[in-house]
Amino acid sequence: MNSTAQKLETSTPIDTSCYADVTDAIRKEAARILADGTVTAVVGYKAGRRAGTTMPAIVTDPAEAGGLIFSPACVNNLALYLTKAKKDVVKKGRIAIVAKGCDMRALAGLMGESQIKREEIFIIGVVCAGVKGSGAVNSEPLTTGNLARKCRECTVRTPEGADLVAGTMPSLPELTPVEALEMARLEAMTPAERWAFWKEQFSRCVRCMACRQVCPFCYCEQCLCDKNRPQAVESTPRPAGNMAWHIVRAMHLAGRCAGCAECERVCPMEIPLNLLNRKMALEMKELYGFEAGLAPQEKGPLSSYKEDDDQSFIK
Amino acid sequence: MSRIGVFVCHCGENISRTVDVERVAAEIGKLPGVALATDYKYMCSDPGQGLLKKAIAEHRLDGLVVAACSPRMHEKTFRNAAKAAGLNPFLCEMANIREHCSWVHEDREEATAKAIDIVRLMVERVKKDKALQPITVPITKRALVIGGGIAGIQAALDIADCGHQVLLVEREPSIGGHMAQLSETFPTLDCSQCIMTPKMVDVANHPNITLHTWSEIENVDGYIGNFQVTIRKKARSVDMDKCTGCGVCMAKCPQKKIKSTFDRGLGTRPAIYVPFPQAVPNTPVIDRENCTYFKSGKCGVCAKVCGPGAVDYDQQDELITEPVGAIVVATGFELYTINEKPKGSPIKGYGEFGHGTIPDVIDGMTFERLASASGPTGGKILRPSDGREPKQVVFVQCVGSRAREKGISYCSKVCCMYTAKHTMLYKHKVHDGQAYVFFMDARTPGKSYDEFWRRAVEEEEAVYIRGMVSRLYQKGDKIVVMGSDISVGVQVEIEADLVVLATAVQPRQGADALAQKLGISYDTYNFYSEAHAKLKPVECATAGIYLAGACQGPKDIPDTVSQASAAAAKVMTLFSRDQLEREPIVARVNERNCVACFYCKKVCPYGAVEEKEIRDRQGNLVRVVAYVNPGVCGGCGTCQATCPSKSVELEGYTDEQVMAMIEAL
Repeated sequence: MNSTAQKLETSTPIDTSCYADVTDAIRKEAARILADGTVTAVVGYKAGRRAGTTMPAIVTDPAEAGGLIFSPACVNNLALYLTKAKKDVVKKGRIAIVAKGCDMRALAGLMGESQIKREEIFIIGVVCAGVKGSGAVNSEPLTTGNLARKCRECTVRTPEGADLVAGTMPSLPELTPVEALEMARLEAMTPAERWAFWKEQFSRCVRCMACRQVCPFCYCEQCLCDKNRPQAVESTPRPAGNMAWHIVRAMHLAGRCAGCAECERVCPMEIPLNLLNRKMALEMKELYGFEAGLAPQEKGPLSSYKEDDDQSFIK
Repeated sequence: MSRIGVFVCHCGENISRTVDVERVAAEIGKLPGVALATDYKYMCSDPGQGLLKKAIAEHRLDGLVVAACSPRMHEKTFRNAAKAAGLNPFLCEMANIREHCSWVHEDREEATAKAIDIVRLMVERVKKDKALQPITVPITKRALVIGGGIAGIQAALDIADCGHQVLLVEREPSIGGHMAQLSETFPTLDCSQCIMTPKMVDVANHPNITLHTWSEIENVDGYIGNFQVTIRKKARSVDMDKCTGCGVCMAKCPQKKIKSTFDRGLGTRPAIYVPFPQAVPNTPVIDRENCTYFKSGKCGVCAKVCGPGAVDYDQQDELITEPVGAIVVATGFELYTINEKPKGSPIKGYGEFGHGTIPDVIDGMTFERLASASGPTGGKILRPSDGREPKQVVFVQCVGSRAREKGISYCSKVCCMYTAKHTMLYKHKVHDGQAYVFFMDARTPGKSYDEFWRRAVEEEEAVYIRGMVSRLYQKGDKIVVMGSDISVGVQVEIEADLVVLATAVQPRQGADALAQKLGISYDTYNFYSEAHAKLKPVECATAGIYLAGACQGPKDIPDTVSQASAAAAKVMTLFSRDQLEREPIVARVNERNCVACFYCKKVCPYGAVEEKEIRDRQGNLVRVVAYVNPGVCGGCGTCQATCPSKSVELEGYTDEQVMAMIEAL
């Protein structure tokens, strides 16, 4: 489902010249801030073992800053490395992070939840024309055909609130909003049809918990779904427990998830998890006019009470 | 294995009429862990409690379920009984099979089955109950009284006389409130000022009372026994320590034509003023909106003539924070302004009565000022328009009150009596005058009240017309009052010289905002709500806050004073102890699992969640976690519902208990 492999449109190449500029800027800035002691480590991307791939990298030596890159293969949301899930990273001191617009929203959310402090991180924002979807061939250049689904409807290509923004945005060809179309298709279903759709999707879940491990907002050290006294969610991959897990996940992310779609990217069973996230985000926007992660916020609509809150959902 | 005792109450016939209590006891007796299950006619009675106490010892019970009424009714009763028998009181729970079952069902078979389910759930909960110890918190033996009218004055004096410190906060420049504005008081016609001003002086001189006039409540934090109150002392522009109250500044102030609110706009006052000559404290305030110096920077006469140099134009509002243990709210009332519809209010105005447009249509309080010896006319009844003595005066009762279609359905309680008083005062001052009263019915329950009213009708010859006024209009220098006399079924028209409207008593503007700061509840009209209409008439549902006077509902002076003394008694009861015991039904954080997202802190309505630093032996910060202050926690469980990692739980309502209850269903 995740696949950009559904070749919906003829593949038009996307101008990727900005990635080289961004790579240069990241390298220069990383070397500078490591050398002058502004930060003790930089979380970024470096080239992967196979050509055309990348992997997250933590650089502590200014001499190694030259190995940092930015390319359409930089899919990971590095915000994850600043949460309690990666304690060893956080312990290093003040850290710089390379952040695309979508990653930036996760950082803002984490700041609002007291997980990171703005003054303790240095954000190297990068403009981003999009990254590749999971079905893309490594050697292929970025095209409208192999672009990740989330990038087709991106509203934050130039990040805001970063310490520095690297690169300038090229103009993009028109993109089909695949995910919005899929959302509309689900919305048009009857509740019974929709239930059947998700039941089928969740029945494939093997409870590998990759979606949880990769999510920057799943930073609890003890997930309630792993508890057994009392057990709220059955832990084996059976239909009832699967359904419960995914509903818990969606509810816990409501008003928090900023839509980086990492859960969907890492799902080995190709469950369209970001559709659920987007549905929750849509509800938040319709009910409270709220969008997660646009700026660090002390209180979101679900943790505050206002007299004029929309109560129409109470029936 | 638990040894739980279950006691099923008949509640006379309240429960046993619809629920087969014997069968409930028999079924529950079969459950594992239940050592005893029995039924009794009145569990809350002395023999019923005796049964429970005896069973605890005989059957070595380690948990109790009393299947009876709502825990709001008798939880305390049975927990005390358990405690007396040596069992931790928090191992005793109630299963509500009356309000939740017998009272709301008719079918005996189904009601019995439901009762069995309810009791079974509670048995599962009690199995996992923990023995809890009550939380003790210290009490700050210092009271705050908000409002310096007769209610606030009485409460402050009573508490202070008992030896406790009192802070009295008044919004206006002087204490005294509405009672200081009244001429004479019913039913004895004694002069209001004569009985009021000595009390005001007592307040000023009392060593235990700190008076903050021209001050407002900015913020209230904390909880019973331990409130932190921030008071905004508005800039007076006069140094209270230096001012001697000589009054030269007021005499010399060139700006003298400002309408006096104390005299309901009939008299005037200077820009530097005390509201009335007997004001306490007798220190003037500069009305910055009308002062020439503040408007244009020129003048400064008051500063020049002030001998002690007390006038200080640069004074700023000052915020002070004071610890108090109890709060008495006595913010009083205001009269309904009927000519205009209050903004955002469902209350409709009475444009047809011409109040505000016809100068000789006044309200009851304005008439009080006309009749007062210290009023703008020196006690002569004179028309505001031309200063002539009115020969025919029409009084209209229930203007605004008891008018559902206009938005207020309640009775303002004092108008029948004060209108009767007004007719007498008028008759005493204008011997050849005639008073007419339009009324729906005369409500005179009170000691010597009906006699007073009858005197107005029978001896002082006020003409009472049963009916309502439909319209008022100016005709020459007369006001034509059109109404109906329903006792004889005719339309009446009276050409009056003066019309006095007994307008509805309403809470003060901003009463709702203050309630929100205090965390107390209020009704649709913004009157503050007592905890129980009959049995807790002066307590608020929020512990440690008490009500006195008309802020809770329309009241006359005797009722107000009684309630103020009652509120003071409640405060003194609280202060008679050194420590306060609170139920330990509070949230506790599992610090091992807490990830410090502080969603609990964001949603806590009590402000009970704090950030706690955990440090190692060298003092290095290991982690930050949430901490629930048990003294502040109200036990609502919102944090428990919000916590994503389920790291905070409410004692007695843990997830384990709730899940066990669900599984028992």
